[in-house]
Amino acid sequence: MHDLDDQQWRELLQRLRRFALWLTREPGTADDLVQATVERALSRRGQQRDADSLRPWLFTILYRLFLDGKRRERLHARWLAWFGRGQAEEPAGGEIESIVLAQADLQAFARLSPEQRALLLLVSVEGLSYKEAAETLGIPIGTVMSRLSRARAALRELTEGNPAPPALRRLK
Amino acid sequence: MTRLIPTEHELHAYVDERLEPARRAEVEAWLAANPQEAVRIEAWRADARRLRAALAGFGERPSDPHLDLAPLRRRLRQRRQRRLAAAAVLMLALGLGGIGGWQARQVTLFAGMLPMADAVQAHRLFAEASTLDIEARDPARLQAWLGTHFNRVGRLPDLAGYGFQPVGARLLSNEAGPAALLVFEDRQGQRISLFLRSPGEHFERMPTGQRTDGQLEARYWSHGDYNFALVSAVDDTRGEQLRQALGVSL
Repeated sequence: MHDLDDQQWRELLQRLRRFALWLTREPGTADDLVQATVERALSRRGQQRDADSLRPWLFTILYRLFLDGKRRERLHARWLAWFGRGQAEEPAGGEIESIVLAQADLQAFARLSPEQRALLLLVSVEGLSYKEAAETLGIPIGTVMSRLSRARAALRELTEGNPAPPALRRLK
Repeated sequence: MTRLIPTEHELHAYVDERLEPARRAEVEAWLAANPQEAVRIEAWRADARRLRAALAGFGERPSDPHLDLAPLRRRLRQRRQRRLAAAAVLMLALGLGGIGGWQARQVTLFAGMLPMADAVQAHRLFAEASTLDIEARDPARLQAWLGTHFNRVGRLPDLAGYGFQPVGARLLSNEAGPAALLVFEDRQGQRISLFLRSPGEHFERMPTGQRTDGQLEARYWSHGDYNFALVSAVDDTRGEQLRQALGVSL
C-alpha cells in the first residue's frame, strides 16, 4: 500500500466497497467488511507483494472475511432458531434496493446467487484473471469456469425474462 | 479439426479476453462461421458491459476519512510506534524493576544491617569486659597477635600520642567470617575499640562513613582486604584524629 497514491487507493477502496456491497447487500455491513479488510491487510503487510497483486489479494481477504461472517451468521441463526426466535431476516439495504429497482440490469444481477455475483463481479467488472478469481474465492480454476458458465447463462435468462428499459438511469 | 471448435471455457475466455492472440483469432473465425453461437457469445459480452456500466459508480461515496491513505499510514506508523514504545516500556520496566529490585534488596539489607553494626555490637559487649582473649599492654604483642589471625593487615599505629594504650583483643566471628576487636584505653579509663574483619557479602565495597549509634560513634572504612570500624564515645573529640591515624597505617 506504500506505492499507491491517494487517488489509486480511493479507487481501490471503491472497488472493495462495491464488491462488499454486492456480497452483503447491506451498506453498513459492507463498510465494516471493507474496514476489516484494510485492517487485516495492514496487519499482514509482510505477505504483500507488488502493486499488481495487491488488488486480488485485498479481494481475497475481503471474501474470506465475508465467508467467516456468513458462517457466524448461520451459526447465530441456528442458535436463534433453537431458542425459538425464528430465522433472522436477511437485511435489505435501502441503497442497494433503490439502485436495483432503478436498473433492470441490476435486478437480474441481484437475483443471482451470492457465489455467482461474486464471480461475475471479479471477472467481468473487476477484470481479475481466472486464476486470481479462483484464489480470491478459494475454489479450483475448473470450478471458476463452470460457475462462470452457469452464472452467465442464469443472468441471460433473467435478463431476457425482464427486458432492459432503453435508458439507464441511476437513482441516488 | 477439433482444435478449431472452441470449448465452452474458451468461449468465456474469449469474452473476457483471456485467450492467446493466435487462439483468439481462431475463435473469432469460428464465430464468424457460426452466427448462432456468435449471438449467444455477444449476449454474454453485452451483459458484462451493461453490468460494468450499471456498476460504474456503484458503491461510490464521499471518501471515508477513516480509510484515507494518509491517516491509514499514520495509524499504521502509530501502531508500529506504539508497539515499539510498548517494547521500550517493557524493557524499561524490566530494567527499572531490576535496578529497583536490586536497590530495594540493598535497602532492605541495609535497614536490617547497618554498616559495621557488628563492630558497635562487639564494642558494647566486650570493650568494657575484663575477659579479653589476650591482655596486651605492649603494642608489639598486639601486632603479633593480629598478624597470626589476619595476615594481610597493615601496621597498627602507636596511639600513645593520642593518649591511648592497648588493653587487649578478642577474636570474634560472625557470618562474615573472623573478626578482631582491639581495645584501647586512655588514662581516664575511656575505651575505644578498633574492629576489623573481612568484607561481608553485603558490604563488599563498604563506603567510608560515620554514624552514631546510641552513645557510640562508629567511623568505618575499607582498606586492603579488610573493613575497619573505630568505635568510640559520641562525645570523644579524639575520634576523628584516631580514625585518620588508623586509616593511614592500616
